[in-house]
Amino acid sequence: MRKRKLDFNFILGIVLISFVLILVLVGLFYTPYDPNAMDITSKNLPPSLSHLFGTDYMGRDILSRVMEGAKTTFFIGIATVTIGAVIGILVGAVTGYYGGILDEILMRINDGIASFPSILLALVMVSILGTGKYNIILALGIIFIPSFARVVRSEFIAQKQLDYVRNAKLMGAGDLRIMFVHILPNTRSIILSAVTVGFNNAVLAEAGMSYLSLGVQPPDASLGRMLSEAQTYLFNAPWFALAPGLIIVITVLGFSLINERGMKDGN
Amino acid sequence: METKKSPLLQIKDMSISFFSGKDKKNGVKAVKNISFDVMEGEIVGIVGESGSGKSVTSLSIMGLLSENGAITGGSVFFNGKEISHFTKKQYQSIRGTEISMVFQEPMTSLNPVLTIGYQVEEMLLLHTKMGKKERLEAMIQILSEAGLPDAAGLLSKYPHELSGGMRQRVMIAMAMILKPKLLIADEPTTALDVTIQAKILELLKKMNETYGTTVILISHDLGVIKSICSRAVVMYRGEIVEAGNTADLFANPQKDYTKRLLFAASGTKGQMEQGREEAQSLTAAAIENDEILNVKDLRVFYDEKKKRLFERRKKKEAVKGVSFQLYEGEILGIVGESGCGKSSLAKALVKLQKDVTGTICTSVKQPQMVFQDPYGSLNPSKKIGWLLEEPLRLKKVEKAERVKRVEKILEDVGLSKEYADRYPNELSGGQRQRIAIALAVILNQKLIVLDEPVSALDVTVQAQILELLLRLRKEYRLSYVFISHDLSVVRKLCDRVLVMYDGHIVESGTTSAIYQTPEHPYTKKLLQAVLS
Repeated sequence: MRKRKLDFNFILGIVLISFVLILVLVGLFYTPYDPNAMDITSKNLPPSLSHLFGTDYMGRDILSRVMEGAKTTFFIGIATVTIGAVIGILVGAVTGYYGGILDEILMRINDGIASFPSILLALVMVSILGTGKYNIILALGIIFIPSFARVVRSEFIAQKQLDYVRNAKLMGAGDLRIMFVHILPNTRSIILSAVTVGFNNAVLAEAGMSYLSLGVQPPDASLGRMLSEAQTYLFNAPWFALAPGLIIVITVLGFSLINERGMKDGN
Repeated sequence: METKKSPLLQIKDMSISFFSGKDKKNGVKAVKNISFDVMEGEIVGIVGESGSGKSVTSLSIMGLLSENGAITGGSVFFNGKEISHFTKKQYQSIRGTEISMVFQEPMTSLNPVLTIGYQVEEMLLLHTKMGKKERLEAMIQILSEAGLPDAAGLLSKYPHELSGGMRQRVMIAMAMILKPKLLIADEPTTALDVTIQAKILELLKKMNETYGTTVILISHDLGVIKSICSRAVVMYRGEIVEAGNTADLFANPQKDYTKRLLFAASGTKGQMEQGREEAQSLTAAAIENDEILNVKDLRVFYDEKKKRLFERRKKKEAVKGVSFQLYEGEILGIVGESGCGKSSLAKALVKLQKDVTGTICTSVKQPQMVFQDPYGSLNPSKKIGWLLEEPLRLKKVEKAERVKRVEKILEDVGLSKEYADRYPNELSGGQRQRIAIALAVILNQKLIVLDEPVSALDVTVQAQILELLLRLRKEYRLSYVFISHDLSVVRKLCDRVLVMYDGHIVESGTTSAIYQTPEHPYTKKLLQAVLS
């Protein structure tokens, strides 16, 4: 087997992501305070021992809200990428493997979706579907399909010309089996890097949408929602914006670092 | 040229190691204490299998070892100067002007986005102070000397507009334009057809004679070495096994390895031949038996690439009306240069190419195929066991039975059953080709089409694979269609031969008849080009 050399960036990426993941996992079962419980007596408190990240303008504990918000953001990110990846892989595999008129039609639709700025398209969809967590997932999911489809399609076009695919045909394997059992595993490195990039974009898009108050609705917390609420208090309570902002930066940076490694492995 | 002056290149006790990671002490030794001299004006061959260290040796002379490799001992004298400790700058000053190199792959060693003129001119721009007109003259002169027609028109062409042979001529012209003292050619003819091979070697010889350039020719092909080298060095696992006058070396090799190499390349006597004679008598008996394949007036088409967006798709005929039969237990060779339609024919026979007219009658349900490149024909993400089980799985064979049959077939192709647990990238080229053959045999289809199955392998491995094919034919009573451009391999293995040229069969007959009394001029040309 190839010897895997550990490199610093990869390890740093893993450390950053595991930090956020632990925060989210703990948040599933335990938060120091109820993330939505208001307390007028402890408004805009700076970080202290009882409130590690301070409190917000309604006296809610920011640490608890960040844990809750990161959970929501992660859920939206994972769900979005899943929708985008599953449908994108299907479309990419079919168009890449068969080619022809089907390929032309599906890829032109693909180009159509991809030619709009993604946030703008999501805005349009949300205004049709209505705001809320699940509509955001659906809107972002659809927008993510083209990027997956295109990557998978080009990989399938390259792979289908290799002799092992011809060999599989000679054995008597059907098209579906060739596509998903024989070729798909060979595209995993490229799909993996598309997933990490996609997840990053999903986190950023969710933050952006919620910031525009089109995503997660109050009183629920999400990282973008919290940032948007913190905007007014940027000068008198900077810790309010700092915590959710940092979590977004750590997540995105962590995945980028891991992804870089994935690209190297892919080659 | 038998000018024995002073040695131009002296390698003394040189060792080269490759290091992994930060470990700077214990590397893998690729070349172990080798010494040899190259006299001025000589053509010296270095022969060996892949992994024998022959390419590494030549790269080290140019200072082109990859970053994790280094000369760890000994010295290299070029023109009396020690060059193994040269810095990058010093190396740059001798590369191109005094030592230059031609690589194996003419497809990748030229930059595809720059014109030939630009690339050749760069050599002059970097190393000389010639004016524009002088440069142009020098380029045209060297290109026409390299046997390229219309040298002036060639300058504005891009590499993809040239054939492989022409590109290799351009590479040689580029290497020779500054009249270097030493030219290193690393497998310069391996990627080319036999008829072109001979011409490129002639060109190297001509350059050697006109300019007195010393040539080091690296090859795994003994025929190539024999044809133009005055001396040869045989390398094996990083060491020099034997060195000497080419004629002496080939006439009476002293060392076992050289003998083995010569034997594998010629294979005129011994086991191989015996096996074939036995099998031939077997076919002689079988020939009255059944036809396993009958092809009548087969034409194979493929779509040409559209040149313009709205152009009608054009079809090109790759195989133009071919008819032949194959009898049970027979090995039929199909020879021809690349582009003659032999691969299209192979694909049509196994029904991978659907766009055909004519009839292919066969008693075998689905003929199997073994491909040329053992690196592409096995799915890299699956284990060998999984791959071998796959055809059985598709036929709904029980798990226990599958495992049993995989173990049996692995044994049959000369591998232990532990290989079932490995991935293709853990296997050598020869081992992979064994797996590919096992894959073709496991479904018990009696007809197997082999498309250049040994072309990517070293000669000694080649011989083993050919032996395996003969053994399997006997055990499983198989029939082969064996496609190859390598005439010596076909001669060793096949009972009958078809010669293809431009989509037609120009000649057919028993192997001995074709090789001894060729009738068609193309066959004669092909046989003459073979370097014996």
